[in-house]
Amino acid sequence: MLPNPLALIAEITHRCPLHCVYCSNPLQMAGANSELSTEIWLRVFREAGELGVLHLHLTGGEPLARADLCELIAGAHSANLYTNLITSGIGLSESRLGALVDAGLDHIQLSFQDSREDAANWIAGAQAHAHKVELARAISKHRVAFTVNVVVHRQNLDHLEEMISFIEQLQPDRMEIAHAQYYGWALQNRAALIPTREQLDKTLTIVAAAETRLAGTIRIDSVVPDYYARYPKACMGGWGRRLMLIDPAGDALPCHAAGVIAGLEFDNVRDQSLGWIWRESSAFRRFRGEEWMPEPCRSCERRTEDFGGCRCQAFLLTGDATATDPACSLAPAHRIVEAAVLEVNLGEITSREPENPQPVSASSLRQLQQQTAGFWSYRMNPE
Amino acid sequence: MPRPVDDSQPRLAAGCRWGGGGDEGKMILFPEGAIRVQGTGRKILDRCDGQNTFREIVQELQAHYTASEPAQIRDEVATFLEQLQQKRIVDF
Repeated sequence: MLPNPLALIAEITHRCPLHCVYCSNPLQMAGANSELSTEIWLRVFREAGELGVLHLHLTGGEPLARADLCELIAGAHSANLYTNLITSGIGLSESRLGALVDAGLDHIQLSFQDSREDAANWIAGAQAHAHKVELARAISKHRVAFTVNVVVHRQNLDHLEEMISFIEQLQPDRMEIAHAQYYGWALQNRAALIPTREQLDKTLTIVAAAETRLAGTIRIDSVVPDYYARYPKACMGGWGRRLMLIDPAGDALPCHAAGVIAGLEFDNVRDQSLGWIWRESSAFRRFRGEEWMPEPCRSCERRTEDFGGCRCQAFLLTGDATATDPACSLAPAHRIVEAAVLEVNLGEITSREPENPQPVSASSLRQLQQQTAGFWSYRMNPE
Repeated sequence: MPRPVDDSQPRLAAGCRWGGGGDEGKMILFPEGAIRVQGTGRKILDRCDGQNTFREIVQELQAHYTASEPAQIRDEVATFLEQLQQKRIVDF
């Protein structure tokens, strides 16, 4: 029997005041005039509650760019959904924060780009850091779960300890150390973002020490990036198995990046109920279960744990959405991921040659700018 | 690692609350997760309202489970709350 979806990810807008180089939004974004109305979102949230969805993640773009956010949160709360706001904090004053919490917001997840203001603003392509720090102080005064998220990559991993100390003094309940994942803008900028093996090894030690030190004070969530893992990630907990995502224009997707897969057709919440989409939509059925699996997945004992990995990553890297995720060490196309990893690790060896003192990881803003200006592309806004 | 003391007043931590459907499906929801609590765990957490003290919660359970050693009940309640505190689900 088909289980209920457990979480709904609502990308309520693609508009965003930040331009982060690792944004996972699609390169083709939905414009403001195609966004769903307040009424449709409220209906979707009611349907989600009836369907047994527990968690609602309001994300974007920047959800605060929608003037009706407070109304949306109140509607989600009445629909019995646990409501999480994933935000950069830009557009959130102390009074608006109070209103969102009063409307029933359960959890707020504030993203930081770095502990160092100049580097953070360079990565975001916007002057955002100082406001976030101020906002974090305001959030910790409210009775709402508070997570600080920092996306880590080659350009900031060398000062991970400093970033953890920085987050600690913001006093969240939870800390997410999230490795950049290579979809959307991050895939475009992958060569500047992949960590070296040495950085990754240090990361594991640093995170383990922080977990011990902060146990009972701050919960830390961190996973090994899939390019360095032996097996792929269980993307979305399995296709069409636990999660559904609605994009700003109302298309229902089984995964954030599913829009890139050629040949998939998405149903829209303007035309269909959430329950119908979950059960019947061809996009959700396409990779549900094991029928679609090729070898080595089909006979692999891990197929019920990682579900063959991410279909979107398989398509982006091999052109075939039914391929085993190339992040898997057993995948026929694993050499694609190995080559990307090898390139950055060879780069590191080269950089130690005295005649070629090119650092792979920036230790100052000037170095970061020299290495990345004109090399990476900033996320653009929709039309 | 903190353990609750007699006067501790345990309550669900910020952003953790009851949810789910019906009495059978009642769950504690928290950031990125949910747990279904039944039986004794449910009895304990139902009383974690920030008002009842640890001593009172233990006494109620001791009165209910007369076949078990009172000291053992106290120890188990303390361990249960301590574990949930480590997960940032309960404060005391």
